[in-house]
Amino acid sequence: MGWLPFSGGSSNQGPRPSSDGAFEAPGRDQRAHCWEARDEYFRCLDRHDIIDSIQDGKKAAATCSKETLAFEQNCATSWVKYFKQRRVADAKKAATLRQLEAEGAGQIPAAEMERNKRASVA
Amino acid sequence: MACAFSGSSQCLRQTNLVTASLRATRPSPYAYTPQFHSSSTAAVGKASDLVITPRTRPGHPQLSCCTRCPSAISRSRTQSFSSSFPRRSKTYQTVEQAKARNKLGPFSWPAGILFLLAGVGMTFYFRSEKERMQRKRIAEMTKGIGKPKVGGEFELVDQDGRRFTSEDMTGKYALIYFGFTHCPDICPEELDKMAGMIDRVKQRAGNVLRPIVISCDPARDTPAVMKKYLDEFHPDMIGLTGTWDQIKATCKAYRVYFSTPPDVKPGQDYLVDHSIYFYLMDPDGDFVEAIGRQFSADEAAKLICDHVGDWKGKLDKN
Repeated sequence: MGWLPFSGGSSNQGPRPSSDGAFEAPGRDQRAHCWEARDEYFRCLDRHDIIDSIQDGKKAAATCSKETLAFEQNCATSWVKYFKQRRVADAKKAATLRQLEAEGAGQIPAAEMERNKRASVA
Repeated sequence: MACAFSGSSQCLRQTNLVTASLRATRPSPYAYTPQFHSSSTAAVGKASDLVITPRTRPGHPQLSCCTRCPSAISRSRTQSFSSSFPRRSKTYQTVEQAKARNKLGPFSWPAGILFLLAGVGMTFYFRSEKERMQRKRIAEMTKGIGKPKVGGEFELVDQDGRRFTSEDMTGKYALIYFGFTHCPDICPEELDKMAGMIDRVKQRAGNVLRPIVISCDPARDTPAVMKKYLDEFHPDMIGLTGTWDQIKATCKAYRVYFSTPPDVKPGQDYLVDHSIYFYLMDPDGDFVEAIGRQFSADEAAKLICDHVGDWKGKLDKN
């Protein structure tokens, strides 16, 4: 069951059923706990130069066992998978940006892009 | 008969005499010109003596000019100082004043300041007008025939279980966000931003905005779940949900991509991919603009307030 991870850990509250039968979504506190555990886990991965913790799952679990457990206890399984995937995507994005910068590309601020978009509409 | 002859010859002679005497008193019309300029009184005197002459010799330009209005000549003499502004009868007390006046020419400090102020004012005016026209163009891009249609009719249920349709949305501007309560990170961030936008717009433009959150995950997001979830963000937010088909139709109308499978089991853990734009709809229920993630709450609030300011129709502020 996907929501079992919520039943353990510091939040210690499972997904409670709402008044009309469905399960309540994680609240602000639960999200905060999950994000905290995630950041702790990613810091550990950073220390050991692991980017993709799905591909290098065994190595990650072995080197950051405590953080892995806390992460999985505080976040829903789907969230754990999502955050791990996002970490890989973010790393790829950062690498691409670095490469582009090395090739002499400059960054356009969002506000300027918006102006350009509007100017092209006009 | 002889008398008639002699009479006529006498007459002829007399006329000759008159012309001769006229020539004697006035040797040449050009001779008068220096006299006029040397002394105005003399010029006036002479000119008045010669008032009759234009009738006898109307074709002479020099005379007709001098005799036209002798007083104008004397007037123009006294005004020769201020040749650039003939109508102004300003006289200078000292030479310094006149010199200062000549140095600056027609420009002065008040004129310069006025010029600058007018320039700055026009710049601001044209800039704001240009921005307004751009907003208008964006707002009207989706109105009329042959334009892409974003939004449309829907029938859903709000967080208190009441029916809510696209009709209930009109009257105020609407800010619509599509999300789901089990969203890991982006939706909560965006909803916090939405709360900031609501407060800022309310502060600047009054109660003109109806914030709506539509769930893309109808299987898990029941009205009670939505209510509990949205209470943590802003009390004004209206959370809408419905059956899978109703949500599918609404998302299609708003061109929102969503990936919720139609047959999920209760308690199943999954994520929903969906578009993450805020949709701004005008009081007629027509799409105005999509506000992306690159906007901060402040920037988005400013954009909304600008559109609200452009709105000419009816607007419910209660």
